[in-house]
Amino acid sequence: MGVFWAAVVVAAQGQQPPDILVSRQLAEAEGLGVGDVVDLATSAAGANARPFRIAGIYEPTPDPMQLGQVPREVRMHLPDLLSLTRGPDTPAGTEHVDSINIALTDPRDADAFARDLASRMPGVSARSTSNPSFDGNPFVVLERFHLAIAIVTIVAATVFLLALTIMLVDERRETVGVLRLIGLPVHRILGQIFFEGVLIAGVGALFGLVLALGSERLINEFFQWRYNTALIFVRITPEVAATCVAIAVPLGAVATVAASWALLRRGALRLARR
Amino acid sequence: MIVQATNVSRVFPMPAGPVTAVHDLTLTIAQGEHTAIRGPSGCGKSTLLHMLGCVDAPTSGTLLFDGQDIAALSDRERSLLRLNHIGFVFQRFFLLPMLTAAENVELPQSEAGVERETRRRRSRELLDYVGLGPRADHRPSQLSGGEMQRVAIARALANRPRLLLADEPTGELDEATGQQIAALLDRVNADGTALVIVTHDHALAERATRVLTMKDGRIERETRR
Repeated sequence: MGVFWAAVVVAAQGQQPPDILVSRQLAEAEGLGVGDVVDLATSAAGANARPFRIAGIYEPTPDPMQLGQVPREVRMHLPDLLSLTRGPDTPAGTEHVDSINIALTDPRDADAFARDLASRMPGVSARSTSNPSFDGNPFVVLERFHLAIAIVTIVAATVFLLALTIMLVDERRETVGVLRLIGLPVHRILGQIFFEGVLIAGVGALFGLVLALGSERLINEFFQWRYNTALIFVRITPEVAATCVAIAVPLGAVATVAASWALLRRGALRLARR
Repeated sequence: MIVQATNVSRVFPMPAGPVTAVHDLTLTIAQGEHTAIRGPSGCGKSTLLHMLGCVDAPTSGTLLFDGQDIAALSDRERSLLRLNHIGFVFQRFFLLPMLTAAENVELPQSEAGVERETRRRRSRELLDYVGLGPRADHRPSQLSGGEMQRVAIARALANRPRLLLADEPTGELDEATGQQIAALLDRVNADGTALVIVTHDHALAERATRVLTMKDGRIERETRR
């Protein structure tokens, strides 16, 4: 249905008008409550306004495509909408519709439904909103962009981590040299360092997850307040957490061992004598 | 015989050309022997000591420790040999700063698989032996130079080595403390451990029963008492 403009006016109590639902944002902006009667019109001048009763206030389903546009919306029964928007010279039943959303009982049927609809009604385009994987979808592009940022971040972090572990290991070169002189074999020292690396990387990954979970709440609360929406901006799912740990722990351990191996290749005396 | 070196040389490759630190040297170290190695800086004393201690391997010649050819041993085997049969004392002590004196002494025993109670008891005995029983729980930063060297000696003796190697053990100590360390090393030797000391300290060298004077990678003179 095309965009319609709604002029909202609190009307006097009278004959029971049709029910509508009002978005939370509109209700807050106009000070509306359940039971109020308002006049709605399709023009800013308020011509042909009709009264409606607010039967409820709803939280609109967040739409990332409309981020920044505060959803001041009204939902009404389709006959009421057609009646309100139909021009005086438009016969009933000839209204024009651009797009409609259809809720399926089983969302997994979306693709099959879209194919079926396309075959029955050539020219009608139907696609799933839950799995918008077509290349032009802005969120698919955004996700690829995020993936690229993640890869660059991981590569940069790996270089940083390696440099850091080389410095940390180098600080312990005298200790390692003494252990070698005492008679600890290389593999024994490497094993110890590997264990430490896994432990530190594990603790670091857990710290990162705790930080991310704390940040998740702060970021969501800030942007939900900023854009007056229930949209979730950041979500740390178990899969995300598992991926982080699966990358961080082996990476930390490998970086530690690689740095240590470079050190342990030197002679014990060179290590002990700075 | 603990160590038998035959025509041993050690050549270090350098950008300006190879440098021969030890040249065609033949030497034996017997059980319970007290040997001092003297000589000017750069004459190959420390290199020889490191080869005797299986830290370094000769580039030519044969070096046997307890009849085993050092060059034929893997890094792991040489490490185990050092752990179980050789003790090291260095000029700079090389104690692990995060461990207490007792823990430093326990470390080699722990690596040798000695059970906890036994190694604790032995650590206390060794610290008593070097006169540091009351300082067992002190960290190296809380000890003086002489005390740290005594802990280092106790650590070197932890696994009852047959050979104790000391590289300038009094080099960083004042004269009085140096004499105390020298007396302690004499006692270690008198208790049956073969001792090889590399030193510039004439007084320390004179306490040995055998003094080797090196020059240009060779033994120039050998004196026995």
